[in-house]
Amino acid sequence: MQRKTSSVKIYTVSEINGLIKEVLENSLPSRLTVSGQITDWKLHHSGHCYFSLKDENSVLPCVIWRSNFEDVKFKPESGLAVLAVGSIELYVPHGRYKFIVDELIPAGVGALQLAFEQMVKKLRAEGLFDEAHKKPIPRYPERIGILTSESGAALHDITHSIWTRWPCVKLFLYPVPVQGDGAAEQIAAAIRDLNQRNKKLRLDVLIVGRGGGSQDDLWEFNKEVLARAIYDSQIPIISAVGHEVDVTVADLVADARASTPTKAGEEAVPDMQEVLADLSNKENRLWHKMKGRVELAGQSLETTLASAVFRNPLLMVRNRELDLDELCVTLSDSVKNAVARAKESLHWAYEQIVRIEPHRLLAGRMLGLNELRNRTVAAMKAVFNNRQIQLTAMANRLAGLNPKSVLGRGYSITMKKQTHSVLRSLAEIEVGDSLITELAGENFVESQVTKK
Amino acid sequence: MRVNMAKNEKKNDISNLSFEQAIKELTGIVNKIEQGEIPLQDSLEQYEKGMALIKHCKGILQKAEARIEKISLDSEDRKQETEGSI
Repeated sequence: MQRKTSSVKIYTVSEINGLIKEVLENSLPSRLTVSGQITDWKLHHSGHCYFSLKDENSVLPCVIWRSNFEDVKFKPESGLAVLAVGSIELYVPHGRYKFIVDELIPAGVGALQLAFEQMVKKLRAEGLFDEAHKKPIPRYPERIGILTSESGAALHDITHSIWTRWPCVKLFLYPVPVQGDGAAEQIAAAIRDLNQRNKKLRLDVLIVGRGGGSQDDLWEFNKEVLARAIYDSQIPIISAVGHEVDVTVADLVADARASTPTKAGEEAVPDMQEVLADLSNKENRLWHKMKGRVELAGQSLETTLASAVFRNPLLMVRNRELDLDELCVTLSDSVKNAVARAKESLHWAYEQIVRIEPHRLLAGRMLGLNELRNRTVAAMKAVFNNRQIQLTAMANRLAGLNPKSVLGRGYSITMKKQTHSVLRSLAEIEVGDSLITELAGENFVESQVTKK
Repeated sequence: MRVNMAKNEKKNDISNLSFEQAIKELTGIVNKIEQGEIPLQDSLEQYEKGMALIKHCKGILQKAEARIEKISLDSEDRKQETEGSI
């Protein structure tokens, strides 16, 4: 058997893969759009996303590099039907081809709309749209802060709508970008800044707004960072974004929504005409009510004045006088009665006494008394006489015993002159002493002792 | 002298009220007087106060400046604030 020198080419693996790569990439358009359903979606930590697109029969491995994925506004997930735009590439070292996607478009709904719906769902679940959290807009604000573009038409619409309704309010503009990258962050920063400074600024409410535009133009108002800043704001916020049909996330989080900037005034301030009418109405009510009350008071006064008391004030006095007179009469009558009664009892007593015939009794007693008196006198006389007799007798006896009676018979009494004492013995005197001798008839002789 | 001073104090109190506060007081006064449960003397005083409040409110409404003041993150404005010009 002969060894054929064949012209069969022997390829290396790399060569084959390289060939396939050439064929693949040359025969396919450099950019393709593929429709399919995402499966096995994996966000790698590198930032690149690996996934597959499938239909009923087949699977296509895909990747989105990180830089392109950043442009995808919605959140791709397994099960989502999409249009993927990109190019097929074969990676030679792995011998595998992949669809390198640089654009993902959700099928059916627009990418932006989908992203919007996803954001709404997410924030609603967190409670950012809860009614209970929304702050009431002050009824009569004095100072309003406006966050919008300085050059846009929205500023004029907002201020005009406010000033035609409530010109006495003070407005403050805080200029911010309202579209383009970073606008959401700047508006959020502005809101936080105003909140921080509000002790000095004293703003009652904020209006965040911009004019109409495409969903793209309005996109910054759907950003999460702005939604959170609005939610956290202590100052109530009214959103006034776009046209009536445009609803942004900011509109849903805000404490109140004006469907367009021109409607901002209706949300923020009351209608001065209405308030003036209310004031006039109150003024009238007050005036009429007061008039009524004063008239009523006046009537009541008149009625009082017309009453008997005021027409005839002395009536009461006269009545009292009558009463008094009657009482006087009654008084004197009763006094008279009392006196009469007293007299009667006195008379009755007198009669009683007379009945006893006191004069007779007295006469009787008088007789008795006289008799007694007479007897007493007689008795006294008798006693007196008795005593008199006794006395006379005694006197006689005494007289008889009178030593001086003997004098008449010639006897005499001799006394010492010095002492007037009766001499009884010689011892009592001395020669030379004076003597007094009493004779009868009270005659005295004085002598001297010459010899004893 | 004392009565006059009290009147002036009242006037000052009212002129310091915000529109919201004034309307609230006014509504209260109107209701009180309409319900009639208030003695005549008090109602006269309240009526006077009510009229003063209405005058005050109308005064606030007449003040229209129609201009906007600009504020921003500028450090310039912050300085102005601490000096109390805003």
